[in-house]
Amino acid sequence: MLKINPSELKFIAQYIYDISGIFLDASKSYLFETRLSSIAEELGCTSYQDLYNKAKRDPKKTIERQIIDAISTNETLFFRDKGPFELLQHKILPEIIDKRTPGSPVLKTSIKIWSAASSTGQELYSIAIVIKELIPDLARYNITLLGTDISDNAVSQASYGKYNKFEIERGLPQKQLQRYFTLFGDSWKIKDEIRAMVNFKKLNLMLPFSALGKFDIIFCRNVAIYFTLPDRKKLFNKIADSLADDGFLVIGSTESLTGVCPRFIPKKHLKSIFYQKKL
Amino acid sequence: MKNLTILVVDDDPVIRRLLQQRLKKGNYDVLVAADGYKAEAILREKHVDVVLTDLMMPGDIGGIEVTEIAKRINSSIEVILITAHSSVDTAVEAMKKGASDYLEKPINFDELFLRLDKIANVQTIYRSAQELQHAMDVTEHAASETIQLIEMKAAELQGLLDEIETILRDEHYSEESRISHALNKISGM
Repeated sequence: MLKINPSELKFIAQYIYDISGIFLDASKSYLFETRLSSIAEELGCTSYQDLYNKAKRDPKKTIERQIIDAISTNETLFFRDKGPFELLQHKILPEIIDKRTPGSPVLKTSIKIWSAASSTGQELYSIAIVIKELIPDLARYNITLLGTDISDNAVSQASYGKYNKFEIERGLPQKQLQRYFTLFGDSWKIKDEIRAMVNFKKLNLMLPFSALGKFDIIFCRNVAIYFTLPDRKKLFNKIADSLADDGFLVIGSTESLTGVCPRFIPKKHLKSIFYQKKL
Repeated sequence: MKNLTILVVDDDPVIRRLLQQRLKKGNYDVLVAADGYKAEAILREKHVDVVLTDLMMPGDIGGIEVTEIAKRINSSIEVILITAHSSVDTAVEAMKKGASDYLEKPINFDELFLRLDKIANVQTIYRSAQELQHAMDVTEHAASETIQLIEMKAAELQGLLDEIETILRDEHYSEESRISHALNKISGM
């Protein structure tokens, strides 16, 4: 494995921060080596300086995208900790449906949901499955399910909706696996009825995203932990702008917004916490 | 690292005994079966890490069927086939059914031991990944309970501070009464 030297560590860490907002501790050289050495070797680089130079000179930014793919953590599973999905099913969705259902029966109920760091799609598909099971007459609803991630690879795997045995066995109950997935060689592919409910696209959360419009429900779990505190503050401030006044925000189970964004107040339902805007 | 348990399936008693002896010497736990039926019975009863089976055996259960049975009983069992037919086709068919490797006769024991070492290494890594995952879940759960408590408490205290600020700024009342009202709020916590 290509070794990184201390002077390279500094500017590579800065470069990664500049392109992704991900803050990697420069004292942990293994983090850089395990994630970047194969890209460097594939490109025939003799050092990380060489990789950096090549990435900077690459007009198509292919190397930059490869580096982002390698650096971003895609640890995720279907129904990763049950709390948020029970919260969605028993509290958030019923409340939002209640608020958004129009007086006239000819009008559809519109609900917009965003998975802000969708990784390989497991979270958004889990949300889609909860919705499918909760709402029998989906035709009367206009539900937008958007997943965004900084990694091209993650977005394309999410869009394809195919998972290997190991990815699928973690977290997904057998009943839902059989109902919503089709066996595809050695892997499982999400069925079209669920696939058609969702959309994925690439997005860097460090950049402005107000163009996405306002959402009723935002899941932003386990991504801000990779950002610095000032960037976390900026991110949740932008999220507050993108959330409807009566909307719901769900963050990772070990994350906190205390000292990060005073515009949100935590509320507890059963064993989970969600956030709403302070009005 | 725990010893691997290896099930040897071969209809030839000489090869069976040879494999058993060499594997025992190599510090593996060894079980033997003379045919596919006996192999299935053992697989249903005992924990086996690796099945080492002859590809061609008399009767309707050959090496490929043993592979299928083993994988059905426990998908994490690794199967190595021993074959006299060094044809790639047979090997590929066996791999499709879940075999992880094949060896040609006569058996080269150095090669066999190398492959078994590899399997043992992968299993150790897989087990520690599972243990790490479990440890992470437990830690995450405990941390999340603590963080939730602090988060709710911090929000409650912030609410109280805001209320006290409103009270203290309310010029409809005298300073004394504002202060005493604020103190009441605090002692009511």
